[in-house]
Amino acid sequence: MSAAAVLADIDWHVEQQVFFYLIATTQVVAAWRVVTTKNIVHAALYLVVVLAGVAAQFILLGAEFIASTQVLVYIGAVIVLFLFGIMLTQARIGAENDLDQPNRLPAVLTAGLLAILTVSTVIRTFEDVELPDNSRTTTASVSDSIFSDYIIAFEAVSVLLLAALIGAIVVARKD
Amino acid sequence: MELTTTWYLVLGAIIFAIGASGLMIRRNPLVMFMCVELMLNAVNLTFVAFGRELDDLGGQVSVFFVLVVAAAEVVIGLAIIVAIMRHRSGATADDLSVLRG
Amino acid sequence: MTSTVTAFAQVADFARPPIDWHAVAPELVMLSVGALMIIIDIVKLERAKPYAAALSGLGFLAPLVPIATLAIDGVASEPRVMFGGAYVIDGYSLVLKALFLIVGYLVVLLATNYVGEGDYWETEFYNLLSASVLGMMVMASARDLITIFVALELLSIPAYLLAAWRKRDLKSNEAGLKYYLMGVFASSIMLYGMSLVFGVTGSTLLTEIGATLDDGIGSEPAVTLGIIFVIVGFAFKVSGFPFHTWAPDTYEGAPTPVTAFLAVASKAAGFVALMNLVVIGFVEREEVYQPVIFFIAAGSMFAGNFMALRQDNIVRLMAYSGVAQAGFLLAPLVVVGEGPEVAATAVSSIVTYLVIYAAMNLGVFAVILAVARKTKSGEISSYGGLFDYAPALAVLMTLFLASLGGLPPLGGWYAKFGIFRSLLEPGTGWGYTLAVIAAVNTVIAFGYYGKIASRMWFDAVPDDDRTRIVVPAALATALVLCIAGTIVSGVYPGAVTHFTDVELLAFR
Repeated sequence: MSAAAVLADIDWHVEQQVFFYLIATTQVVAAWRVVTTKNIVHAALYLVVVLAGVAAQFILLGAEFIASTQVLVYIGAVIVLFLFGIMLTQARIGAENDLDQPNRLPAVLTAGLLAILTVSTVIRTFEDVELPDNSRTTTASVSDSIFSDYIIAFEAVSVLLLAALIGAIVVARKD
Repeated sequence: MELTTTWYLVLGAIIFAIGASGLMIRRNPLVMFMCVELMLNAVNLTFVAFGRELDDLGGQVSVFFVLVVAAAEVVIGLAIIVAIMRHRSGATADDLSVLRG
Repeated sequence: MTSTVTAFAQVADFARPPIDWHAVAPELVMLSVGALMIIIDIVKLERAKPYAAALSGLGFLAPLVPIATLAIDGVASEPRVMFGGAYVIDGYSLVLKALFLIVGYLVVLLATNYVGEGDYWETEFYNLLSASVLGMMVMASARDLITIFVALELLSIPAYLLAAWRKRDLKSNEAGLKYYLMGVFASSIMLYGMSLVFGVTGSTLLTEIGATLDDGIGSEPAVTLGIIFVIVGFAFKVSGFPFHTWAPDTYEGAPTPVTAFLAVASKAAGFVALMNLVVIGFVEREEVYQPVIFFIAAGSMFAGNFMALRQDNIVRLMAYSGVAQAGFLLAPLVVVGEGPEVAATAVSSIVTYLVIYAAMNLGVFAVILAVARKTKSGEISSYGGLFDYAPALAVLMTLFLASLGGLPPLGGWYAKFGIFRSLLEPGTGWGYTLAVIAAVNTVIAFGYYGKIASRMWFDAVPDDDRTRIVVPAALATALVLCIAGTIVSGVYPGAVTHFTDVELLAFR
């Protein structure tokens, strides 16, 4: 029996489920730690876990192009920028006590309400929507779409990146 | 338990709410940006889940644009923080404020 | 080599998107001038600096030429629709693009001396300004969730940086940081709303969203939450109550020309996006957006006006006055669901208000800049006795303030009249209630506009310093343009409504 045949025989739904729950639990725990940890470097590292988890979920959803972009842009660039920012601003590496607002209760209550609201809304609206089986989009079709229907948005994003580059250099440089 | 699109949406909703709570609890601007990134990632997850569900490319294309914009946002956020830190260290979002709402 | 090419050809038979080059010419001209400025700056370095303001002013005026040719071409009656309705060039978008360009030009005039004399990064300042205005132009035509989001970020991100442009001043840095944090928070909320709307309606095109919501799928709770989140996200942008708290701090800390830009152009762009979204996309879900916008509009009017009464700094006062004006501008959106005619009146009243508001508000900021050249202060007390030593500025300021308050025969009167007319036209309780609230607030607003006026006319000059104020040519030009706009739009409103009587329709 060839390897391909073995792969074809496996019911991928089970694996998808197992990995989804594993990754999802990790993500929620890590996200919670980003919000609660006393150490700013740890917060950045927990953020890596969440972002990598999102990339993994993208692969489970069959969005390979977005998953690799997620890894490149977020983990490769954004997190590195955050760590740079931590170093440049000479934040103490280690526990800090003044990371938080002194009065947490109203914030926690608002956030709890928001969580109940959003979760209950998506559950009520989409309670029995099955995940469709083989709607796997290719990178080519994504790029076709970006360069035809969304070409104006793409050009606008290019200008945005240039403007952000120029402005960030001016604001951040020493003079 | 059957894995449905709803599970992805619920995961997105939970991460979104955690990020929003972080933005309200935290007052170090860097950590506040991180919380915004959490919220944006929750949005991305929701978009891709919907895109798969609807078999529509719009979901993935949205995520592509959100990713690029988020990267630009982080860059300029850090630029502003670095500019502030040249004046004083240990900035928090409201504590050092000369400006009071 | 050939085999590689054919291999690629097999993977994707990419079809070139049909692009109507004439229709996107204004954006392209704007983009080219911006790119040219960057190249000149790189090649000529310091020698390019004296021409930066002039070139950038030209960059804002040049795109008006293709806008005029498009108007002559009859775009108002035969709109150009691209990408299945994602990008529409019609009368509505043309007049708004022209408005953004003229506001950009006036801001360049306001900034010329401020930036030139203040030892700031000059060419880069104008680069970011053009990038932001380009985002606004895209926003005027955007009829698609993704394009709206990208346009919003393109107009906001340069604005965050411009707010922090006086980088040696901690206040300005913090203005930028506060604006930035509020802005990114708002855009993530808005994006979550957009993702929910996309998920239920299955499209990012506003026309298709509108059609789907019309079919009755729209009663899902996720759509309700999505619409609320999107509106809340934009309420931050237009500084509507209760999301207005960033405005006074950011306005005070930012360089004053940037404040004028934020108060007029950036806010107008937020309203344009809201109009596109509500009038084309969400219009069938009245029961959701009506109470939300009603609350934000009424709250903005009361909160803005009552806080403005207590301010001592004129820029903070203008920030709160801007919050109150945002309430006025939001009000007609409450009734757009009553029918196509009502929606048409509401849209044209908002566009008219935006045009007149730009003239009078930029005028106020021009006077503030001129006075600050002498007094170096933004305190209202420093305006004491302005009439004694700078009568022209005092008269201009009084006219602008009277117009903001809504005194006939100045432009602000006609703008407010249009809002009241569109609120009363459908004859619903929501409209009547808001009209009463707006009327009450018009009266309250005279309290603080009158306060500044009486300072200028009746108070003594502080320190008895009566040296004259020298108004530089650029600032004087801006003042003349603004006062002309303010008076003409009030005395002969037809001159404005000839352009602003536009409709916002769904095109496929």
